[in-house]
Amino acid sequence: MTSIGTGYDLSNSVFSPDGRNFQVEYAVKAVENGGTAIGIRCKDGVVLALEKLVTSRLLKKDANKRIATVDRNIGVVHSGLLPDGRHFVSRARDEAQSWRGTYKAPIPVSSLANRMGSYVQAFTLYSSVRPFGITAIVGGWDAETDVDVDGAVGSGPKVGAGGKTKGVKEGGPYLYMIEPSGLYWGYYGAATGKGRQAAKAELEKLKLDPKDGECISLEEGVKEAARIIYVAHEDSKDKDFELEMTWISAVNGPTKGRHEEVPKALKEEAERLAKAALEGEDEDEEKMEK
Amino acid sequence: MPGFDFSNHNRNIALHAKGVPLPKATSTGTTIVGALYDGGVVIAADTRATSGPIVADKNCEKLHYISPQIWCAGAGTAADTEFTTAIISSNLELHSLSTGRKPRVVTVMTMLKQHLFRYQGHIGAYLVVAGCDPTGAHLFTVHAHGSTDKLPYVTMGSGSLAAMSVFETQWKPNLSRDDAVKLCADAIEAGIWNDLGSGSNVDVCVITPEKTTLLRNFKTPNTREKKQRDYKFKRGTTAVLNEKVITKEQISKYVTVHDIGDGKAGVGEKMDVDTQPSAPS
Amino acid sequence: MIYQTGALGEDGIHLDMNHLKSGEVNLGTSIMAINFRDGVILGADSRTTTGAYIANRVTDKLTQVHDTIWCCRSGSAADTQAVADIVQYHLGMYGITNDEAPTTQTAAALFQELCYENKDMLSAGIIIAGWDHRHGGQVYSIPLGGSLHKQAYAIGGSGSTYIYGYCDANWKEDMSEADGIKFVKGALQEAIKWDGSSGGVIRMVVLTKSGAVRHLYLPDRNYEGPGTEKP
Repeated sequence: MTSIGTGYDLSNSVFSPDGRNFQVEYAVKAVENGGTAIGIRCKDGVVLALEKLVTSRLLKKDANKRIATVDRNIGVVHSGLLPDGRHFVSRARDEAQSWRGTYKAPIPVSSLANRMGSYVQAFTLYSSVRPFGITAIVGGWDAETDVDVDGAVGSGPKVGAGGKTKGVKEGGPYLYMIEPSGLYWGYYGAATGKGRQAAKAELEKLKLDPKDGECISLEEGVKEAARIIYVAHEDSKDKDFELEMTWISAVNGPTKGRHEEVPKALKEEAERLAKAALEGEDEDEEKMEK
Repeated sequence: MPGFDFSNHNRNIALHAKGVPLPKATSTGTTIVGALYDGGVVIAADTRATSGPIVADKNCEKLHYISPQIWCAGAGTAADTEFTTAIISSNLELHSLSTGRKPRVVTVMTMLKQHLFRYQGHIGAYLVVAGCDPTGAHLFTVHAHGSTDKLPYVTMGSGSLAAMSVFETQWKPNLSRDDAVKLCADAIEAGIWNDLGSGSNVDVCVITPEKTTLLRNFKTPNTREKKQRDYKFKRGTTAVLNEKVITKEQISKYVTVHDIGDGKAGVGEKMDVDTQPSAPS
Repeated sequence: MIYQTGALGEDGIHLDMNHLKSGEVNLGTSIMAINFRDGVILGADSRTTTGAYIANRVTDKLTQVHDTIWCCRSGSAADTQAVADIVQYHLGMYGITNDEAPTTQTAAALFQELCYENKDMLSAGIIIAGWDHRHGGQVYSIPLGGSLHKQAYAIGGSGSTYIYGYCDANWKEDMSEADGIKFVKGALQEAIKWDGSSGGVIRMVVLTKSGAVRHLYLPDRNYEGPGTEKP
């Protein structure tokens, strides 16, 4: 970075003459060192996956979960400074609860992303704080069925509501990624952390855009997510890692509209396939070398 | 002793238990009305202020200025209508200055209802709000608890029933300015004659998009006649029985006597005499 | 020592929720809202009273809080206007900040929160009816205590006590718009006939996917018109 030492990188509330906020850019650097985190928006759900780098042999395996549940139907995975991520998750839970408090209904994923985007952005404005050292991927399922007001009694007419618009599809899978600047977009597939370039390259190969026809299913998504985390992992730099994976399906799907850990059997199967795919790749390379 | 002193509260409870009623605020038994007409709006009020059974003021003003094109007629507690309209008028001018727009009648109505609702009816202001703004001529009533109504003709106060009977029998759509003024004045007069709380004169305010005309004492049906006889006695009616002159020197034994001015006539003894004829009362 | 306050009933224990402060404007009322084939219909009489005096004989008790979410107000005029104004503000903000029109549920939740949390200070019985793309037409009722009820149809106000039988006998699900209007008008006519605190004109609002349409029925035309036309 050319402007180091010019003084424009010392405070949040100071722009450099060419209009950059260095503190935010340094926060992005912090994210680039974190383990790879990805999210995939599938036809019938969302998968979140994380390459959890093992920093000590003394850490218990499969403990210290990093993908958090924010509301029954929303999960968050993040890459970067862990404590910053915990604070982010805590705030996201507060937002989800406050929404429930006022509207007596679960928060839509888009509204949560909007509120968290605003929250993160506020940390780029003041000299008394530093930006979040994380990029967070928020995935969730907005109920496609009618959700009644919490605490309401009764169910209306027996024949159902009159005047419903035919063919209007509500709810569905949603995926957002929020960066240290507060910038956020909705994604078909999102990746951040160390291996994001490799992961993005893999994500782009998947059929995720509904405009290109049928998207991949949630179960395919789980397998792809595992494979992408394995592909993005650099053996040479980081020895050990654990794969952490969660998913959210529709109310009539395997998770019944909730954000849950991917079941052990399915995860192991996905990891086996991921390893097999990697070995296959290695074999291909070896063959080519021959 | 630091802290709050609740002794008055205990005293009040004791007084209340003995049957002593709470002191009552001056309340204006009143007739106020308003009517929309083609091209503007008219409001009118009587001019009697009462304090219990006593007429406290025979020619008070119940039409309050809010902004050049928005006026209020007030019934209820006199002090409350006075201060409520004054504070809303003040805030409205600041609002108008900061938005750079002419104030609107709905804005006044909303500010009044939110202010009054906050005080849960303890501010005893019952108001007729009327005016012209860029969206047209408007007429509202605002009750002390914060409820509002929007109608083509309205009445409020203790004389509202008498006034409404005039409107309900004589009002018709698309009135002319003069007909509207006449109708409102008649409605107020019905209150003046038939309601004990209302009396004296009729004030009218006509608001059009162009200008506002305040017709103070538009009607004075209660001017005092010259008394046919008086009780003034001629000089010398009472005979002088004896006379005793007390000099200044003698008094100065008991009080300090201080001359002001040249000593001929003390400045303090001078009095400005109002040469204007006093307002009809 | 126990001091009896104005809000306590004669037994000094139970809250008199209908207690009105002296001079307070009351909506002695007949209100209702129903579901029908294409949405919802709201209906109300037009009488507002202060004691024995009719303060407004053409009151509009059907209040819009969003494009196709409306409510019927009963109880204190000041309280229900204040509550409706607050909900209208929040729904407006919701529509702007979330880039999506609020649903009837959202409105019902906001009304309930205000009515329940401030139950000691309010006398408000509100019926919320709305139409939205996602749920079609819905009717919710919030009686005095602040509970929330989703109903096929809801009636409220002092006049409603007289029409429970009428409504129960004549209610049909999935009515046409004409039948729905006939049902509401018939019920409100009975309520106005028997309840002294209800009267004046009958106002209605029909909420469907094509928006809100106002209806007006005048007593001097035997409540037959003018309907959607201006009188």
